[in-house]
Amino acid sequence: MATTILEPRSEKSTQHKIGRRGFLAAAGGFTLTFLMPEVTRLSEAEGATPGQVNAWLTIGSDESITLTVGSSEMGQGSFSGLAQILAEDLMVDYARIHAVQGGPTVANPAPVGTAINTVGSSVTRTNFWKMRDAGAIARETLVQAAMNQIGDQTRSNYAVNNGVITHTPDGVTRTYGQVAPDAAALTPPSTANLVPDDQFKLIGKTVPRLDIPSKVNGGAKYGLDVRLAGMVYAVIKHCPSFGGTLASTPSTPSGMIAVVPTKVIAGTNRGAEATGNVNAVAVVGSSTWDTWQAAKSLRVTWNLPASASTLNNAQFLADAQALLTSATPYVAGGANPAGTLYTVESIGSANDAIAGSAKSVDVTYSLPYVAHACMEVLNCTVNYVAGLSCEIWAPTQSAKAVLQLAMTLTGLPSGSITVHTMYLGGGLGRKAEVDFVSEAIQVAMAVNKPVKLMWPREEDFTRDQYRPMALIHARAGLDNSGNVTGWSYRNVSPSILGQRGAPLGTKGDSQGIEGAQSLPYNFGSRLTEWVSHPSPIPVGFWRSVGASVNTFGVESMIDEMAAAAGADPYTFRRALLTDPRWIAVLDAAATLGNWNTPPPSGRARGIAIGTAFNSIVAEVVEISQVTTTSLKVNRVSCAIDCYLSVNPGSIQAQLQGGIVHGMNAALYGKQNFVNGAAQAKNFNQSRMIRLQEMPQIDITIIPSPAAASRSTNIGGVGELGVPTFAPALANAYFKLTGTRVRSLPFFPAATMGGL
Amino acid sequence: MSTLQLNVNGQNYTVNVNNPDMPLLWVLRDLIGLTGTKYGCGIEVCGACTVLIDGQPEHSCVFDASSAVGKKVITIEGLSPDSSHPAQKAWVDNQVPQCGYCQSGMLMSVAGAMQAGHHGSEILSEVKNLCVCGTYQRIRQAVQHL
Repeated sequence: MATTILEPRSEKSTQHKIGRRGFLAAAGGFTLTFLMPEVTRLSEAEGATPGQVNAWLTIGSDESITLTVGSSEMGQGSFSGLAQILAEDLMVDYARIHAVQGGPTVANPAPVGTAINTVGSSVTRTNFWKMRDAGAIARETLVQAAMNQIGDQTRSNYAVNNGVITHTPDGVTRTYGQVAPDAAALTPPSTANLVPDDQFKLIGKTVPRLDIPSKVNGGAKYGLDVRLAGMVYAVIKHCPSFGGTLASTPSTPSGMIAVVPTKVIAGTNRGAEATGNVNAVAVVGSSTWDTWQAAKSLRVTWNLPASASTLNNAQFLADAQALLTSATPYVAGGANPAGTLYTVESIGSANDAIAGSAKSVDVTYSLPYVAHACMEVLNCTVNYVAGLSCEIWAPTQSAKAVLQLAMTLTGLPSGSITVHTMYLGGGLGRKAEVDFVSEAIQVAMAVNKPVKLMWPREEDFTRDQYRPMALIHARAGLDNSGNVTGWSYRNVSPSILGQRGAPLGTKGDSQGIEGAQSLPYNFGSRLTEWVSHPSPIPVGFWRSVGASVNTFGVESMIDEMAAAAGADPYTFRRALLTDPRWIAVLDAAATLGNWNTPPPSGRARGIAIGTAFNSIVAEVVEISQVTTTSLKVNRVSCAIDCYLSVNPGSIQAQLQGGIVHGMNAALYGKQNFVNGAAQAKNFNQSRMIRLQEMPQIDITIIPSPAAASRSTNIGGVGELGVPTFAPALANAYFKLTGTRVRSLPFFPAATMGGL
Repeated sequence: MSTLQLNVNGQNYTVNVNNPDMPLLWVLRDLIGLTGTKYGCGIEVCGACTVLIDGQPEHSCVFDASSAVGKKVITIEGLSPDSSHPAQKAWVDNQVPQCGYCQSGMLMSVAGAMQAGHHGSEILSEVKNLCVCGTYQRIRQAVQHL
């Protein structure tokens, strides 16, 4: 079994001169450097910048094969997936690959920005071809070194099997380790032949994940598990209301080391949390518990902004309702403040078509703010030596952003800063933010000791950057035969990108409308609009982002249109879809979910389809036992087309997990605000399903093509189980009860009892 | 400041606590250095902090360390010396963990249920730990042969 190391490691010990695509002498072996493209949710740019190096393959003369990866492991298995892809074209046993967590500063001097962000279900899909090329180029360079040693330059006279190069005419062999030192002196080819798809031994096969053995014995080290010599503990206490600031610094409680005010640093400002606001204090002490107790009882006076009284659910909803009818259209070159209406798609005249239709459907859907609630609370450990160095251990999806933040806060050059990405006890998009890292660095700079900062669960729930609320007005026209004549969809929601200072362009927030545009339905005319809601509650990237919001609106609406047309929801969609891949996915889910066979008595099924991150997913949800406070999800049948599948077992795990995430949010997920303060403070006030409530989930993965093409986008998986669950549930609920649920969650008053 | 004698995973530890009602969770993590036991909620709702005390699953986030004196505490690190407990093996065979953060507590709850004489799917009704990743289906598979 290969191993994964996520222990702190000394970046400074790596002294290789690393150049682009070059083999370099490294401890008796060689290192291949290659580029991995970066996805940022802000730009959705997927391109590498020359000079950035963030993945390393080292083959040692001791036969070791070490892959250093800059992406984060938060349970999605992409770390293992990269090793699996590499092993295929390197032609080695997957178990031989020693996968090591890298940081953004392995090279010395450290280039900024070398760790890739782990967002957008991107790690496997955007690195598939890079990893394959890297493996093949390394293999062919090693073979060239063997050919030089053996003295026969005819490539066809050599075979490679699990890292052993055989000269087939005489059976002479060289191992990768034996030729590694010589390979280090060679210039690798710019390209090399890949293993043909029909000879894959690994890609498309379920292989065990590298990190799992350490996750059954307590050995896996998460951010919160970091312990340093001489370390002190900090517990954060924020102003309960967003927008509030510290009135005066409390004195240090007895037995504590310090009380450190922390402020919002530029780049971590969101909504009411303006740059420079001192919005929290950290109590510093000698153990988590004692410090936490001191933080709980610490009396802190906060100044609340005059606007705090307007930061409540009723006001947010009233603002959204007003914007459904009265938003000001985007003006090129104008200020376009919050409240602006952006036209995302306009084909034909949807308004005229709907007005002139025999039948119409005109409904409004509402979604709440939802917290991330990762199992591991936010935390960060920092060892700062004034003027000299800063070492950071964090469960982060964005090691690059951590590095840049540390440079800003400390003024140190990147080479003096080390970032260790620890295992994440869930990321879900929340740990792509660096507000908690900023606080830890500020505290470390104040106390001049190694410090671990923890957010208690109550802070994690109440100071989240939530999935945005949304109010969606959908309208459609149908003729007497049930054909759709026009479609109009307007989503009013706070802007994730806008809160991050990104220019929204002519079509508004791409994250806010994703899942509702370019839909392959034959709508006749269509109008797709997005309106920025002015709410200053911090919002952020929540597993599947806009798709989790809009797929509920779109696929609930399609179901309502099917009902208006008197059609079966599956066949209605099938007739309306124009993309054969979508139809195949819909069919696969319907088949898996026995759509055409009546369900057992007392049950009903709903269906939905959607897309995110280049993948298409459909789900059939079967439910029963509806009461005013609960329902039972019996079964979920899910089909995915992600173009090609690397590790089917991991895909199944991720879809199961995504479906549960979607289920928790659809049934119970919400965060309410009173006077700017979040109300659900722990899991007892934010119910989630337990083991006994788990439905049977079945999954069909549409087979990979016989020969994958570089020109077709590979789809993501990690977030894909989420978006279609809520609408499929609402559609099943309608079928079973005749009642249409248009406002999430289903059971907003649900609580969760103790164990 | 008070001194407590604790037996954890068969080893005796002497720890000094400022406050004798410091929960066992934080004694294990901060004072003894056994970080496999996790903090999740602090209010006995999620179960990430589950350990065995004299064979019983207990939620260490609310279990006073002083109440563990004279008892045998087993944490995930002590469940077996080599990940050979049947539940650990079943967890690897079925590739249960995703982020893995809840799984220490999950495994201790399963081990406690087994110790109480439950087998196979009987274990399912005993284990109520929260898993935000949603690994429940694989847990259901994994306990079938325990």
